[in-house]
Amino acid sequence: MATISLAHQLPTNPRSLTMVMRERYLVGAHIITALIALMFGIFMGPFQAFHRSPTFVRYFPSIPIFSYYYQAVTAHGVMNALFFTTFFIIGFTYFVVERSLQRKLRLGSLAWVAYVSMAVGLVMMLATLLTEPQRSAVLYTFYPPMIAPALFYFGLVLLALGSWIASAIVFLTYRDWRREHPGERVPLAVFILIVNLIVWDVATIGVAIELVFMLIPASLGILQTVEPQLGRTLFWFFGHPLVYFWLLPAYVSWYTMLPRQAGGKLFSEPLARVAFLMFLLFSVPVGLHHQFSDPGVSASSKGVHTLLTLIVSVPSFMTAFNVGAALENAGRNNGGKGLLGWVWKQRWGDPIVALQLFGMLTFIAGGFSGLINASSQLNATIHNTSWVPAHFHQTLGGAVTLTYISIVYWMLPAIRGRQLFSKKLALWQGITWFVGMTLFGLSMGEAGLAGAPRRAVTSAAPYLSERALFWLDVTAISGLILLISSILLYVNIVGTLFFSRRPVEAGEIPITTRSGDTRSPLWFERWGIWLGVLGLLLLMAYGPVFVEMLTYEWNILRYVPVINTPMR
Amino acid sequence: MELNKLERYWLTAVGMMLGAFVAATIVALLFFGIRLPSPVDRIDPQRLEETVFANPGIRQLAGNRYEAYVVAKSWAFEAGPDLGTPPVLRFPRGAEVTFYVTSKDVMHGFQIEGHTANLELVPGQIAKTTVRFNRSGEYAIICNHYCGAGHSVMYATIRVE
Ligand code: HEM
Ligand SMILES: [Cu+2]
Ligand SMILES: [Cu+2]
Repeated sequence: MATISLAHQLPTNPRSLTMVMRERYLVGAHIITALIALMFGIFMGPFQAFHRSPTFVRYFPSIPIFSYYYQAVTAHGVMNALFFTTFFIIGFTYFVVERSLQRKLRLGSLAWVAYVSMAVGLVMMLATLLTEPQRSAVLYTFYPPMIAPALFYFGLVLLALGSWIASAIVFLTYRDWRREHPGERVPLAVFILIVNLIVWDVATIGVAIELVFMLIPASLGILQTVEPQLGRTLFWFFGHPLVYFWLLPAYVSWYTMLPRQAGGKLFSEPLARVAFLMFLLFSVPVGLHHQFSDPGVSASSKGVHTLLTLIVSVPSFMTAFNVGAALENAGRNNGGKGLLGWVWKQRWGDPIVALQLFGMLTFIAGGFSGLINASSQLNATIHNTSWVPAHFHQTLGGAVTLTYISIVYWMLPAIRGRQLFSKKLALWQGITWFVGMTLFGLSMGEAGLAGAPRRAVTSAAPYLSERALFWLDVTAISGLILLISSILLYVNIVGTLFFSRRPVEAGEIPITTRSGDTRSPLWFERWGIWLGVLGLLLLMAYGPVFVEMLTYEWNILRYVPVINTPMR
Repeated sequence: MELNKLERYWLTAVGMMLGAFVAATIVALLFFGIRLPSPVDRIDPQRLEETVFANPGIRQLAGNRYEAYVVAKSWAFEAGPDLGTPPVLRFPRGAEVTFYVTSKDVMHGFQIEGHTANLELVPGQIAKTTVRFNRSGEYAIICNHYCGAGHSVMYATIRVE
């Protein structure tokens, strides 16, 4: 079973659970770095939840981390949302692309250049967070005119730079494959990952412009003034597609791996491709729905983005049906009868399947709270309250993270060449995470409706109602459950890396090397066309916004002075 | 592209759902007068003393209508010396109040507890919202946008009597 090959080759069996040396180092470096970033981020989370709870702080007033709330939230957001995700996604993409296309990455050694760039970025970021905690507490959205030390932004630039090199490598690899396989459809997993990297590359242009032309010059003292409304708009040009960048790799697992892991098959591959082309077109020109309350953006542009936002909910509904049908198929194959019998007949005892199912359950709740965010009027009641972190902990912290962890549970053994330390721990980790995130979503959501702001030491806030304070206490309980879950996760990771003795079990990775899809038109893969359409949509949705901002009657970047120390 | 029967049903259902969402949004925007905040005016945050924000506070208009000018800065809302710190803004029940708010330094937020008023205060911009206070009681004005060390104690109060 185990396919031993020379160090520079690919495994002869693309589904082999054993990695060859090259894969092991490259993919392993990305995944393990991702897990280190997540570790820095994740262990802040429960303490934030504790610190927000008045009752908890009354009984335990002097936990050291409590002197650094905003520093902790900055580290939590930056490490989890930016570094963990990017490292994980790039490593996962390399692995799936190589195995599915059965060819080595083009310019594979550049992949190490990309890795080093991102890793140096991570080190710079950690160094700033630790050595300049006061000045770097600008949170992961780093809105001007609050300005952090330059190292903070350089860390982000290096992360983006590495990810651009990585996507170039993937695109070139695909192009070679495409030339050699005329008339064939690329396997769905690769199709999704290409869409994902295109979305990412386009979106990061916005934040790169903000970093290079506004934030870095301001932090170096070259600019004394900035334009906050423009900065925020450039950030959200990036910030919304960012959530699809997180989500699509999880969809790779749900669409192309879970059906086989669960014992069924995908309902419709052509519809899947349509859904992802919609993500490609509509996930960028919608950023203004994060800026409904902004004074400097006209209502008509906000209206356009609202309509486009409704459209981008369509592919997620298509996913619900397509993946749901695959699971129904699996449940019936496993002997499920009647209307809902297939739900119970899933492989709930297998952590790799169960974590993804838990992820989907939290995603359903998260998706609906997302539609509420998107409807502009309801948005005014929850904007910037703790409803918002409630929402994205169900989607990002719940669905996406659970799915990534389920991937880690098969990938880490493949990297290490040893079995997972404990399947039972893995299952309990999934259960506690699911319960914790659900309670977190409920309580933070309720607290938000009762007026509790996000990003605040609510236990010290003098203005909150009894009801808000009650739900904040409940959040602390969810934080405790999630702390236990995080410990279980890292026990299993450390156990697998250092203490697992048994060699990898028989089994396979559900990689598809040949698309079974014969119906999708081949022009689905004419990426030039799609980029053109995306360009037009962006011109329509963002053109007027930027024109409005760049033609302010007074000189752009002239009036608002930089503020260097948010803590004083 | 050929689609089978189930796929076609599903696409039709999705299309109809999207149509309903879009229609609901358009109806809400056109007929129910649901309005999104739009630019009011820009302002130099370093020279607020040369603008209407030089004397923040409440102005009574005809009828039961008011204007309130509020300045946000790290880490307090300012509504003039008469209203105290943190300020207490009093209005009679049924008052319709238009708030004009701006920030002097970093980004702040402006949310009125229990009402649909939620503004991002972006330095360099004037934000505006209109609220009708139909129930008497005390409502917090909360800074809901992270603004530095004092963020969680930045608030004001509205008393409707
Ligand atoms: C152990 C589980 C976790 C707990 C208990 C937790 C807790 C929290 C809390 C209480 C906040 C709100 C801070 C505030 O608004 O004042 C927060 C914010 C946040 N969390 Fe988590 N979290 C967890 C896991 C995650 C994961 C896995 C991710 C992403 C992969 C994540 C991403 C974020 C982000 C992006 C923010 C926003 C930070 C900001 O507002 O600047 N969290 N988390
Ligand atoms: Cu404030
Ligand atoms: Cu604030």
